[in-house]
Amino acid sequence: MDGTSQAIIRDESMRREMSRPLCKITGLGKSYDGQLAIVDISFDVEAGEIVGVIGPNGAGKTTLLEALAGLVSADGGEVRWRGAPVPVSLRRQRIFYVPDGIRPYQEQYVAQVLSFFAGVYRTSASSVTKVIASVGLEPVLDRRVYTLSKGYGRRLLLALGLLSPHELVLMDEPFDGLDLRQAREIADVLREQTRKGRSLLLAIHQLSDAERICDRFILLSSGRIRGCGTLADLRARTNLPGANLEEVFLALT
Amino acid sequence: MKELREIFGGRPLWIMVLLACPFVGYSFFQAVSLYGEASNAGQQSPALASSLSPFDGVIVPTFGSLYVAITLLFPFVAIRVLSHEKETGGLRLLLQLPYQSSTLVAAKAAAVFFALLFVCIPAVSAVVVWWLLGGHVFPREIFNLFLGYLLYGALVGAIALFSASISESAATAAIVTLAFTIGSWVLDFTVAGRSGLLDWVARLSLTQTLRVFEQGLLSTGVILGMLITASCFAALSGVWLNPGVRTRSKLARSVACVLATAITLGIASQLRLSMDVTEDQRNSFPLADSRLLATLAAPLAITVHLAPEDPRYADLQRNVLAKLERAMPNVTIRVAGGRRESSQAGDERYGEVEYTYSGRSDISRSTSHREILPLLYVLANVQSPAPIQGGDFPGYPLIADEYAALPWFFGVLPLLTILAWWWSRRPPNINFAHEGGSS
Repeated sequence: MDGTSQAIIRDESMRREMSRPLCKITGLGKSYDGQLAIVDISFDVEAGEIVGVIGPNGAGKTTLLEALAGLVSADGGEVRWRGAPVPVSLRRQRIFYVPDGIRPYQEQYVAQVLSFFAGVYRTSASSVTKVIASVGLEPVLDRRVYTLSKGYGRRLLLALGLLSPHELVLMDEPFDGLDLRQAREIADVLREQTRKGRSLLLAIHQLSDAERICDRFILLSSGRIRGCGTLADLRARTNLPGANLEEVFLALT
Repeated sequence: MKELREIFGGRPLWIMVLLACPFVGYSFFQAVSLYGEASNAGQQSPALASSLSPFDGVIVPTFGSLYVAITLLFPFVAIRVLSHEKETGGLRLLLQLPYQSSTLVAAKAAAVFFALLFVCIPAVSAVVVWWLLGGHVFPREIFNLFLGYLLYGALVGAIALFSASISESAATAAIVTLAFTIGSWVLDFTVAGRSGLLDWVARLSLTQTLRVFEQGLLSTGVILGMLITASCFAALSGVWLNPGVRTRSKLARSVACVLATAITLGIASQLRLSMDVTEDQRNSFPLADSRLLATLAAPLAITVHLAPEDPRYADLQRNVLAKLERAMPNVTIRVAGGRRESSQAGDERYGEVEYTYSGRSDISRSTSHREILPLLYVLANVQSPAPIQGGDFPGYPLIADEYAALPWFFGVLPLLTILAWWWSRRPPNINFAHEGGSS
């Protein structure tokens, strides 16, 4: 086979690989003490998009993200990365999960925490500085984590997620604790990330936040997917052409 | 570095050191005071004076307070390294970093060990204070004792890490760890000196491991055993660390870990190599006898017709058997008749010890080396050696002013600890250059 043919085959296989979804989740399920938390969850995440996992409290959003990240053992299901299966032990190479409701390393200074994660991922100093500026952490770098307000605590977690090099970042309630202006600023930061090719899977219970930022939606209720797609897809499915996300969600769940 | 920051950033370590200062100080004060009284009596009796050892009279009792501190307080310091991270959610971030669980646990174990070194400062300073007061210090036996306490602390730390990895909260982890450490105390008091299974169970006590070092013995079997056990608990911590792994898988790995540990412990227990590091060579025969016995290469078989719980057996073990095992290259000891009641009732031979060397045997009921060694020389057909003159332990009586140590332990050292704590809390100077990849 000559060089030209080989190059064509290489380009073709790259095209095929790039056309596959970045991450494909099939049949993911998890129960706690016999109670089903998530059941038969299947969806895709494409490169450079923001997917919102929408649902009320107790819908299974956090369980879904933790099972996907490998932090809880799923009862079943498969996760594929560009077509190749990813066992739980290797998920951390592909996916980074930013949990909700945690306040880690409380006795350490914010700068120390950021420096530690930057050091682990060999993030350049300029990149770290950009991330700090983008989430607005400059005023609190010399403060201990336990002194941070809820909003700044959330920004610190977001910064840790942005410092990671992973192509897919999962975020649980990224706008929790932020006021409207702060939420819009963070939304702009996240959108900028996707322009650089990163994908985001966000668990959000505030539908207005989700509608503002997400490209596609996964509507979750009682552990099951009730709808999946863009807002236009969901409107068409519910036959509510002018509906907002809240109305579509109520119609489907 | 991150793990060191976590452990030194928390209050438990500093509180423990602050508590240890007066605790060790009082133990030292009492020990020096009592040693002074004995030394005062020794001035009237040269025989008593020559038996006074600062290691037994001052150093070991002082380090005994460190034993209590490590047993009761150090678990809270070690547990925090993992439990705090679990409770605050940091573990969910840590587990996503590009490191194996074993690497994460190793980093935490290293931080716990550094904390242990820090906790030992009051006890180590007591040795320096004793020396400054004019007391005699024999480095080899003190280093050996310190090694024992480091290994003991490492073992407690490893148990604490394991407890933290399987427990949801720090409180539960503390209960589990204290069950091990205080449970060892109970084992030591209640079942030590018994025979059979109870004797085997008593040897599992953590306290028993320290006794060897307090007696001035450097035992490879004990050292390896402690290292292997600590490594096992640390490995189990890594197995149970990740909540994303199925319980069945964790149990399988735990069983494999425990089996591997049991096998290596079994091998380590066969190692009988030990060294007497005491200045007065209390664990050895006189030098001339030790040298001669080392040349007797044929196997020596000893059959003991005593129950292990009989005090005569303890005397025999301490004065003769253990020393023979160290001095001669090939010694096997068999205890015939494990139950005292049945042995005493029906066994005319109860109390006899049979020695067999080069096909010849003799029997003795003595537990003193002064009768046994000549018996062995007859069996081996060698002459008793002439005693080597000089080199006898002279004894080190000292009446020191114990009150002179109090300002150090109750004032200066706690103040230095507080200053160190304040200095450790200063804001960092970070310019976001790479700190390196691991914690």
